[in-house]
Amino acid sequence: MNSLRQILFLLGKDLRIELRKKESLVSMAFFGALLLVILNIAAGVDNQVDADAGAGILWVAVIFSAVLGLGRVFAREKENGCVAALLLSPVAPGEIFIAKALVNFILMVLAQLVLVPIFYVLFGSNFSGGPVALLPILLLVNLGFSTAGTLISAISAGTRRNEVLLPILLFPLLLPLTALAIKATAGVLAARPLFELRDQIEPMIAFGLIFSAAGYLLFPFSIRED
Amino acid sequence: MTEATGAPFLQISGLRKAYGNLEALRGVDLELRRGEFLCLFGPNGAGKSTLLKIIATLLRPDSGRIRVLDNDLQENPEAYRARLGMVSHQPFVYQDLSLLENLEFYAALYGVKQPRKRALKLLQQVKLIQRCDMPAGDLSRGMQQRLSIARALVNDPELLLLDEPYTGLDEHAARIFGEQLRMLHDNRRTIIMVTHNLRRGMESATRLGILARGRLAYLQEKDQVDPASFEALYFQHLEAS
Repeated sequence: MNSLRQILFLLGKDLRIELRKKESLVSMAFFGALLLVILNIAAGVDNQVDADAGAGILWVAVIFSAVLGLGRVFAREKENGCVAALLLSPVAPGEIFIAKALVNFILMVLAQLVLVPIFYVLFGSNFSGGPVALLPILLLVNLGFSTAGTLISAISAGTRRNEVLLPILLFPLLLPLTALAIKATAGVLAARPLFELRDQIEPMIAFGLIFSAAGYLLFPFSIRED
Repeated sequence: MTEATGAPFLQISGLRKAYGNLEALRGVDLELRRGEFLCLFGPNGAGKSTLLKIIATLLRPDSGRIRVLDNDLQENPEAYRARLGMVSHQPFVYQDLSLLENLEFYAALYGVKQPRKRALKLLQQVKLIQRCDMPAGDLSRGMQQRLSIARALVNDPELLLLDEPYTGLDEHAARIFGEQLRMLHDNRRTIIMVTHNLRRGMESATRLGILARGRLAYLQEKDQVDPASFEALYFQHLEAS
């Protein structure tokens, strides 16, 4: 019970700062939208995009924009040494991990609330599958991305080249998840029912669970100085 | 001033820490009673900050033990940290939160019953109550250090660690900070401060020590120390480093 309260205090603090400054959210949404517009221009005047290409376009925008948010969440803790204050507190490092992963998850959801409608406005005429059916796929990717991303951003935040190191470490790790997400999204855009996509959805669930457990267990080693 | 009482509050024995080939601590032994205020001086690289970080559980020693009131620090670090406070040259506060929000957040994290009430009381204590709604990032360096004291006190710690708290403070801010420190020192609270500021350190402490090349080279009750000889000894260590 006490752990849950501490996680909520940590989460509340990060969301309060984010909603006040809107640094991560605005940059994520703006960058993602910009990518979608550029790819729409690249698609040409007839705007013919099949479901596979459409899925790729959506996930390029979502994943590249999400990295911007991941970097900020830990950079904020490094300013003024706040990460040391968290480690000095009676909060277990695993609880800090859960709170940070939740912040990243929420930021991704909020950015997707902007990006998915823009994607449908720009490319939607090509697809018979609607945005509501995309929801489970988006949530599963968010789970895997936010847990793996939180762990990696904690590691890279302790280095001088944080902004460079984060995508270099994170993208190869997320490649299997991204490939599964593209395949599943292509199925949804082609209006295939979700149960037909379980070959992609089940490994995505496993990916999210493995990275949640790994992040919780490895986070104390990634955030400490020694 | 106050008097230290009772059995040892903090016992450190055989503490060693190396960073690769560099030995930062080479067997530190130290005992402090409750209520003592130890000020540790020493040249750069002597291992002072490493020692404080180990006591704060921010670093793990390679060997040696730390016991607080007969409990091994490693056995229940979360419970130990609930009784610990630390002030560093970094304020450990969120620039975008107000002073009140910062303290309320930390108080809640420590499970303080009425976090807002505690935060307001501490802001009053460090004379920042009139700026309680101001973002912490807008404060001067001196004010940020006072806020840092308030943050370190949210859990009313029994052990307070001060790592170079005078760094970057001008004379006026250092004087106010020194006054705050003297207010904090009561019979309940044990304090360890690491500083290069000889004058400020000597006026606050009840015990003085010199850490040199990873070892405790000198440790004495302040009453038994001749300030001039201590200063000479300190400069000897600085020159030798």
